[in-house]
Amino acid sequence: MNSDAAIPNQKANSAGFEIESTFPQTDVGGDSTAIQSETDSVLPEAELNSVIVYLKSISRSTDLEFKDVVADVQSPVVSNTSSHSSLFDLDLPELPLSEKTLDKIQIQIKTEEGRIVLILPAESQLPACESNWSQMWQQFKLQLNSSDRLMVKANTPVHLVAGDRLLDTRQLQELAHILGEMHMQLKSLSTSRRQTAIAAATMGYSVEQVGRENILHFQSQQTKSSPTEALYLEKTVRSGMEIRHSGSVIILGDLNPGGTVIADGDILVWGRLRGIAHAGAAGNRKCLIMALQMEPTQLRIADAVARAPEKSLMQFYPEVAYVTPQGIRIARAIDFSKSQLNKINQQPYGSIVK
Amino acid sequence: MTRIIVITSGKGGVGKTTCSANLGMALAKMGRQVALVDADFGLRNLDLLLGLENRIVYTAVEVLARECRLEQALVKDKRQPNLVLLPAAQNRTKDAVSPDQIKLLVNALAQKYQYVIIDSPAGIEMGFKNAIAPAKEALVVTTPEIASVRDADRVVGLLEAQGIKRIHLIINRIKPAMVRANDMMSVQDVQELLAIPLIGVIPDDERVIVSTNRGEPLVLSENPCIAATAFENIARRLEGEAVDFIEIEAYQDNIFSRLRRILWTKII
Repeated sequence: MNSDAAIPNQKANSAGFEIESTFPQTDVGGDSTAIQSETDSVLPEAELNSVIVYLKSISRSTDLEFKDVVADVQSPVVSNTSSHSSLFDLDLPELPLSEKTLDKIQIQIKTEEGRIVLILPAESQLPACESNWSQMWQQFKLQLNSSDRLMVKANTPVHLVAGDRLLDTRQLQELAHILGEMHMQLKSLSTSRRQTAIAAATMGYSVEQVGRENILHFQSQQTKSSPTEALYLEKTVRSGMEIRHSGSVIILGDLNPGGTVIADGDILVWGRLRGIAHAGAAGNRKCLIMALQMEPTQLRIADAVARAPEKSLMQFYPEVAYVTPQGIRIARAIDFSKSQLNKINQQPYGSIVK
Repeated sequence: MTRIIVITSGKGGVGKTTCSANLGMALAKMGRQVALVDADFGLRNLDLLLGLENRIVYTAVEVLARECRLEQALVKDKRQPNLVLLPAAQNRTKDAVSPDQIKLLVNALAQKYQYVIIDSPAGIEMGFKNAIAPAKEALVVTTPEIASVRDADRVVGLLEAQGIKRIHLIINRIKPAMVRANDMMSVQDVQELLAIPLIGVIPDDERVIVSTNRGEPLVLSENPCIAATAFENIARRLEGEAVDFIEIEAYQDNIFSRLRRILWTKII
């Protein structure tokens, strides 16, 4: 394959790529071996071009680093006679790992000891402003609406962990109203901010004021302790929606084109997967994406990317996507549970990208 | 209980305003008191489709500025006394009003009318937010094209987030011949993706353009065409009647198409 044609193209584009980059994470300088392993699959030239443009737009943050890629692409192409049954015609490794903070933009919902605990993101993670606030609540409402069947007994008490977030009476009212609609009752609140405490106290909630250090301690404890509960959504994830979660995500419904699910754990779609699914976003390459009907726009697991073949498939089976050293592969669910699952579990720990 | 319905789509040019005008008129013909609200500030069209442009004196903006009363701004339709239009201001932009103000207007209208139909602008910005703020239910209009369906999907998501639970789908401008030839998304394809209940399918019809240009909604014409029937059926379904979906195929089944089909089968 002649990859010369690809190079001027990259150069021409390289000036603007930082602006073009729509992917939120640009921190990881990927290793070049991943790309090399990529070039040895059988790619038409045009495809390769798009790979390079894509890689450039997502992962490189300096021109210097970028030259490595060019060099790699020039290296001779070995035809790959992999025996994997891939339904995908292209695998692009080299996706930057997500920053740890990403998933914290969401309000965390936990159930413990008969009450529901809501944990607001700290102000350092999500600066306080009106647009962030409304976005946060919109997501929260969606989250509640789509998983209420399982969670709520009537009038469940709710404890709000506000952290260092400043809440005024209006915002608390708004929250109480949303919760009221879902038959939940805001009962108590813990905060490190005096104003928030006063606002909550005047509205009749029991307030627990904690010092700033305690809050930090509380949070770090949480991040270290057990992985986050799976997020269970009973809804269609529509175009423009983005679900981020620090555990696994289960969707009972479709993931429509234009919709995105980003999870640090596995993604299971009990329906059709037609949008973008990113499992193991924090870097766990063992994560899986499962769907009853796999027609994704793009699949991403940890730092690997794959997209669907150009021509649409006629038959669908429940399928599982997983990472191999060659990129993302897909297997029928029935075959996967027999063969691949054991293989993945037996992989030595050292091979996992952290 | 007044029904407050927003007609929206996300993408422009799929027939929101045409649907608003015709559904409003069809409901009025059925004896309902209908108020049509044009929420497309700065790019108003609903008055044109209804042929009411030259009767507009005051607009919603003047009402909100308390320069006139709400009744003064409402334009009554000569042909159909049950229908009024609250026009949008043409010399302002979408930022001229806030969702709360639109709520105020619509709730005032809801006191007097049985249906308040809000014609939303394209896009999902301020104008859209204004339009959906007062709505209790929504009709999402889409054409069987991938871009329009994708936008509709986004809009359905936004409506759900806004707490609007009753959302119905109108598929506009479908061409049965193209669907048959597998060149166009079928009703099933669209429905499968959007996963909201279908309330009507409107076939592509050249007379829609004629009626738009004349300012006479289709449903008013003497000899109703198939698109007009489709609109009337949607109105009846809104009223709670169970109306069968029309066989769009059947209407095209004239002598020529039959002849052509015979010829085709012979050739093949």
